[in-house]
Amino acid sequence: MGPFLQLAANGVSQGLLIGIAALSITLVFGVARFPNAATGDVMTLGAYAGLVAHGETHSLAAAGMVAVAVGAAAGVAAHWLVFRRLAGRSVVSLLVASVGVAFVIRAGLGLVFGQAQAVFQVPLVRAQSWWGIRLTPLDVQISTVAVLALLAVFATLYLTPIGRQMRAVADDRDLARVSGIRVSRVLVALWIIAGGIAGLGGMMLGLKAVVEPEIGWNVLLPAFTAAILGGIGSAPGAVLAGLLLGVVSEVSTPFVGFSYKVAVSFLIMLMVLLVRPRGLFGRIEGAR
Amino acid sequence: MTVHRRRLLQGAALGTSILSMPAVLRAQPTVFRVGALNPVTGSGSTFGSGMQKMIRAGVEAVNAAGGAAGMTLEVVSEDTQTSPQAGVLAAKKLLEVNKVQAILGTWSSGVSLAVIPLTNDADVLLMHTSGAPALSLPPPNAKGLGFRFQATNDRFGRAFAEVCVKRGFKRPATMAFNNASGIGNADGFKKAWTEKGGTVVASVVYEPNQTSYRSELQKILDAKPDVIVTGSYLADTTILMREWFQSGVETHWILPGWAGNPDLAKAVGAEVLEGVISVDSTSNSASPAYALYDKAYRAAMGQPGDANVYAAMAWDMVATLALAIEAAGSPATAAIQAKIREVANPPGTAVSSFAEGKAALKSGKINYEGASSKIDFDQYGDVTPDFSVSVFEGGKLVQKDVVAI
Repeated sequence: MGPFLQLAANGVSQGLLIGIAALSITLVFGVARFPNAATGDVMTLGAYAGLVAHGETHSLAAAGMVAVAVGAAAGVAAHWLVFRRLAGRSVVSLLVASVGVAFVIRAGLGLVFGQAQAVFQVPLVRAQSWWGIRLTPLDVQISTVAVLALLAVFATLYLTPIGRQMRAVADDRDLARVSGIRVSRVLVALWIIAGGIAGLGGMMLGLKAVVEPEIGWNVLLPAFTAAILGGIGSAPGAVLAGLLLGVVSEVSTPFVGFSYKVAVSFLIMLMVLLVRPRGLFGRIEGAR
Repeated sequence: MTVHRRRLLQGAALGTSILSMPAVLRAQPTVFRVGALNPVTGSGSTFGSGMQKMIRAGVEAVNAAGGAAGMTLEVVSEDTQTSPQAGVLAAKKLLEVNKVQAILGTWSSGVSLAVIPLTNDADVLLMHTSGAPALSLPPPNAKGLGFRFQATNDRFGRAFAEVCVKRGFKRPATMAFNNASGIGNADGFKKAWTEKGGTVVASVVYEPNQTSYRSELQKILDAKPDVIVTGSYLADTTILMREWFQSGVETHWILPGWAGNPDLAKAVGAEVLEGVISVDSTSNSASPAYALYDKAYRAAMGQPGDANVYAAMAWDMVATLALAIEAAGSPATAAIQAKIREVANPPGTAVSSFAEGKAALKSGKINYEGASSKIDFDQYGDVTPDFSVSVFEGGKLVQKDVVAI
């Protein structure tokens, strides 16, 4: 049992990051109604922003805040400059536009920071054993921050007026509008949240691995998988599906080997969608 | 069908490209165009511009010695960005727009494997520095137009096995990045090690672009290896080294030189890397050719020549190509290809530069002994350099040994 618990713990710390990216995707999909392919590159942007801030301040907390701010700013900028202008167009136009935004961000980062890898210069600390599971303090920190960030997002969604409005717009935009909700304001709030958590997730990704222009792009596919598996538009579903994918792909490795662990998570998604086409927590949507 | 027709045309020295050239060139070619296709940006950027400058410097030396077979060499440079897609676009441009007659200096197996079908179709030589075993054999090297100046991954694996024997390791494990080069290293090691009667206690092939390799590492460490041999790259090795250090388990590491380099020390710090072994193909540093290369490299880059083993290979590419052109007395690819082993392999008068070789060719067969290795091609167009064994001490790589296989 011990080895499996260890694998599951490794999976949880990876799954939380996938969950954060999936949450950003699913929020945008729920409210602005298109799959945002720029999510990964906003994460990369957050990682570089955090890296620069950490180099200046040597404080991970400050770096995290800068990553959130830059991610949020990038989200709002993309909304104002691109997505808002395409409102009302087909989902495909918006998807393609988001791919364009992704390329612009990635190319810009490559131009400014180069293609070589960079790392957060944090001291390496040996792993400690917690009930027989070996975890590094950094992993515990990252996972704690991830959980806190997720709680903050959920608190915003479910406990604040703007969160309620956001959910109302997600449910039925026209009905929300005629009820006096200012959709444009809700959209700005959406992009602040979606961009901010993507920026934070990106920085945590860079902290765990290395920072290079492709890191965010590389988690985009697992993140989309989690968003779909969780039921597109469902915030808790995205996070739980991210965790599920992380844990399942790690725990499967004794049986299928490491080369196929990525494939296992897609297999899980296929099976779930065959039985439950709306995903784990998705609702059945009527034709509009 | 097409191939036959092309061969026929080639035999008659009437390729379509020659027909489309200006009349002056057709009558009497005075220029031989060389494409320098190097990783100036991307993960190979540490080496790329040095390689490109050494191709230019080599060509200048050839032209200063009166050119090859009455032709001056001309260089057109391009960047592969260390990416197969960009490499293919650049190669297309070199072949179709610049009409180069040979491409020199592709780096990384992904790029060379992507470019070689184009050079094969254009009937042009490709001299590269990539390790993937597949580049020796058809289909990539079906025409024998590819010449490799770097050791194959298989040879790297053999060198790793030699290091294990010399250092008395008994329980090696392998970790390989899932691509032709990574798996080539690990499999080459496994083959050589089992031939010596050893067993590999555990092996893992891992996926690129993961944020953590902790589970992979755990599987390897559970087998209690006394050394872990990798076929890996810089980014994944950075994560591996960090997570291994955090695990607190004692073991040794043997890394290929393109992962175990100063950039790795910068990323993970001196303490983590202390005692980690890095194996790289090494220059033929006692040779007169190396002295010439070293001088040119210092002049161009302001650094000693041993900073860039691939630049020495690029230097040798120009000398080998020019000597083969001189021996062939023709710009036709088939004629040059037929002469490459003749000017580079023994027997023959040992020569260290194009000028020396050009003079010696008048009186018989020559054997170019290069700056990067002896430049002796086997039947697949592969060379066998020696390997340097270095150890990280206080964050610096210190060379301990040279291994010949």
